[in-house]
Amino acid sequence: MPDILTDANRFRRTNTIVHPRYGCAIGAVYSVVAIPGGVPIANCGPGCADKQFFMMCGENGYQGTNGAGAGAMPSANVGENEIVFGGTKKLDALIKSALRIMKGDIFVVVTGCSGELVGDDVGSVVRGYQRAGKPVVFADAAGFKGNNITGHEIVMKEIIDQFVGDYKGRKRKGLLNLFFEVPYFNTNWRGDFIELKRVLEGAGLEVNALFGPESRGAAEWKDIPKAQFNLVVSPWVGIDTAEHLKAKYNQPYLHVPIVPVGEEATTEFIRQVVEFAGINPKRSEEFIKKEAKLYYYFLEHFTEFFSEFWFGLPSRFAIASDASTNLALTKFLADQMGVIPVKQIITDNPPERFRDGIRRLYENITEGVSAEVDFIEDGYIIEHEIKNADFAGTVPLILGSTWEMDVAAELGGLLVRVGTPNTEEVVMNRSFIGYRGAPTFMERVYSAAVSGGS
Amino acid sequence: MARKKINLKISSVDTREMRLGTITSWDGSASELVDASRYEARGRGRVTGGGEADREGCHGGGKVCRLRELKMPFNQQTMCSHAIVACQLGNLTDCILVEHAPIGCSASNARFNQGFKIGLARRGKPIQSIQIFSTNLKENDMVFGASDRLRQTVRDANERFGPKAIFISMSCSTAIIGEDLDSLAQELETELKIPVVPVYCEGFRSKHWSTGFDASQHGIVRQIVNKNPKKQNDLINIVALWGTDYFTPMLAPLGLRVNYMVDMASFSELRQASEAAATATFCHTLGSYMATALEEYYGVPQIDAPQPFGIAGTDDWLRAVAKAVGKEDIIDDYIESEHRRISPRLEELRKILKGVKGFVSTGSSYAHAMISVIRDLGIEVEGSIVFHHDPVYDAGHENQDTLGHLVRNSGDLAHFTVSQTQQFQFHGLLKRVNPDFIIIRHNGLAPLAAKLGIPSFPMGDEHFPLGYDGIIRTGEALIGILAKKKFNAVLKRHVEIPYTDWWLSQEDQFILAKHPEILDEPDETKTPLGADRSANPIQMDPDDNLSAPEEKLRYA
Repeated sequence: MPDILTDANRFRRTNTIVHPRYGCAIGAVYSVVAIPGGVPIANCGPGCADKQFFMMCGENGYQGTNGAGAGAMPSANVGENEIVFGGTKKLDALIKSALRIMKGDIFVVVTGCSGELVGDDVGSVVRGYQRAGKPVVFADAAGFKGNNITGHEIVMKEIIDQFVGDYKGRKRKGLLNLFFEVPYFNTNWRGDFIELKRVLEGAGLEVNALFGPESRGAAEWKDIPKAQFNLVVSPWVGIDTAEHLKAKYNQPYLHVPIVPVGEEATTEFIRQVVEFAGINPKRSEEFIKKEAKLYYYFLEHFTEFFSEFWFGLPSRFAIASDASTNLALTKFLADQMGVIPVKQIITDNPPERFRDGIRRLYENITEGVSAEVDFIEDGYIIEHEIKNADFAGTVPLILGSTWEMDVAAELGGLLVRVGTPNTEEVVMNRSFIGYRGAPTFMERVYSAAVSGGS
Repeated sequence: MARKKINLKISSVDTREMRLGTITSWDGSASELVDASRYEARGRGRVTGGGEADREGCHGGGKVCRLRELKMPFNQQTMCSHAIVACQLGNLTDCILVEHAPIGCSASNARFNQGFKIGLARRGKPIQSIQIFSTNLKENDMVFGASDRLRQTVRDANERFGPKAIFISMSCSTAIIGEDLDSLAQELETELKIPVVPVYCEGFRSKHWSTGFDASQHGIVRQIVNKNPKKQNDLINIVALWGTDYFTPMLAPLGLRVNYMVDMASFSELRQASEAAATATFCHTLGSYMATALEEYYGVPQIDAPQPFGIAGTDDWLRAVAKAVGKEDIIDDYIESEHRRISPRLEELRKILKGVKGFVSTGSSYAHAMISVIRDLGIEVEGSIVFHHDPVYDAGHENQDTLGHLVRNSGDLAHFTVSQTQQFQFHGLLKRVNPDFIIIRHNGLAPLAAKLGIPSFPMGDEHFPLGYDGIIRTGEALIGILAKKKFNAVLKRHVEIPYTDWWLSQEDQFILAKHPEILDEPDETKTPLGADRSANPIQMDPDDNLSAPEEKLRYA
């Protein structure tokens, strides 16, 4: 090793990223896959969509995919010829054949770096299909525009503008559009969508989930303008889309920045949404009562262990994850379990305009406890920050991704995987949120504790 | 003097299609492809590079004898060369790869991390995580240039890890905006006093990802290997991936030490490549470029044989190795004793696997090897997909013609398809031969086969079927794979596949290349997703119970 090494140089925050925790905008092809009947047409180089598969579906709990995802995904596989002579002719042939070969109700052409840099007029190709009544949409999602979350919002907006279209009819009271986690990117998204929809429906609301196993697909997207309001359950993802819908369809939106985890937060969430919707709370209160009874049935059992376990339980935790997971789990652990937050690192690069608002949510996250939050995307720095966190000599609880394995091992800590990527767990129908997910999260944390993380 | 086939003067590698005439879309019988490839003639053409032989021979990518390709209007996602470079040069123990690209080009790093760690464990090396650096380019960098980002990231890599060498890979976007990697690498090499190697592997450059292997190896031979080699007569280079170290026991009787490249290698292991007594590989698709470059520039001979898989392949390969290192006197006894050793269990496995039909869909020359292995187990193989086809390998050595060797030794395949992980064709291609299982490596195809009731054998450890013992290992593993049909039968009963009835009714999986006008026929047969969720177009026969390997899959 050269002797010029100094901490100042090694831990300088630069453009560099090691151990990435997100894909690029073209990763939004998986937002299309998450719409039942949605077919993405990856208008990018060979390799682009495949790489996103690994970050979003493959090495992220081995979620896999369905429909037109992974190896089934149509892709232009842009070659030298298209770079030199333009790629619209090849794209036209691809769309035409995709419409015949792939089952689907909505086709979304997602254009990556090469098409955008050489200036292909994708719109002119796609508009031809739109004029012929084909359900084809195009979205510019070059990788240099931002990460897969940026791409997710670009794709949602384009589907709304080009496929859902104008609407002047009536709104339906109690029907809401849900803007929530980023499909595939959030490892537990399928389970989380199921739980949040269950909670909202239990409270007497109707839900356009838009993504996931319980969405009605393209038909449900067509119903977006009919909803009474939009519900954004995320610190920042979906706000731009909700603002767009507010302007486009005169739809108000309710922003719940912290995803509810556990009985108290979920009950408060339901009451907030029910009040905003102005529906009769009778049904929601009955639902809350039933869910709370079940929740505390389990919590009482858990108490035997939690209060009497001889061999030590974690008292301090660090977390490195996207903002949504980070806030939700920090709040739950600090406010409901009494675990002390010592290092909160947000890794999904929220735009600067959202950051102060997010920081404020960590102030007094529970009575008497505030946490400082840092925004870092470079894994080398993240691991260094966790290493230097003050666990006060206790066994560190680290909530993170696969990339935190080394630092967790070095610290002799307990690693609970809550973030992307995750190559040590197979995730199917799992959720850490709401009434039903919180006990699953507690199982994960305290199983790690009793097994010493092994 | 003969013109060199490998040009190390320039920093960028010639693509496979230029060097070898590689194709990615073709359908016919294996023997037809052998004939059309004209391996020998091409090999001669490449060797002489002019004169009489060249007139009767063919240059690799020369227009005159270019293989006819079927150009399809529809494509599905594939890998790219840039990913291949990441899983080669990003998997070195003490060198760093910097990806000069937006962050999405690094999105499969967690996958490569996993492969790296497993590979280190297989080779008995200390476990470490990968440390691939991204310059993480944004829109402004596309407009104003990204060179300062690269300088910063290369310095970061150097300061954080003090690597022995730094490789920089080019991506589509940095190639399009014209980043001058050569100058930047030279400048940084002078500054940091370690080799800084530009690697040209932008995805659009080559129509096949395997050019990424060549790009990685080009950089290594050009800037890493010892230019003043001291011969190590007992050292043999094995160009490999992450496979278990079965080569050491196999080559021990010949007194050889193995130097694996590229994955999991250290700088000094790469550096000594020019000092070895010979170079060999488990897969000519992978190793051809490196072996030929070392042969031409450092006089390290490459093993002129097919690959060490299956009985005939292993026999020929061992004899060629023995010849190269002067051990011909002992090799026949060694081979004979190995045949005797595996024979009893091989006979038993052949009885167990009698009547089973297999299908191989892997990278090009590796598929040739897999077909020989399972044919040696008595399994019938009438169909295969290779992801590309090289009509010749770089050196053009006659005995390396792996497809020719396969056809000559174990017979033709009626259905031999070149198709780049194109899943939409897979249904029809499987239907032609009704296999009981498939062997795969790359992602993209097996999930479809799974939904059609066909289990897959992912050959994740590419050395698993190696040599004589590999045949036995593969046979034992296959019994477990065939049992997985239970799962596949459940899927087949309940899970839909994403293609229209219109497409699934096409007999010829390349019809769109020949008659693209059928896309304009009235669109009546198309079933939208959701119209009938139970409509799996391939129905089970009522009496089709999939419990035993002998059971054949039937298509309605």
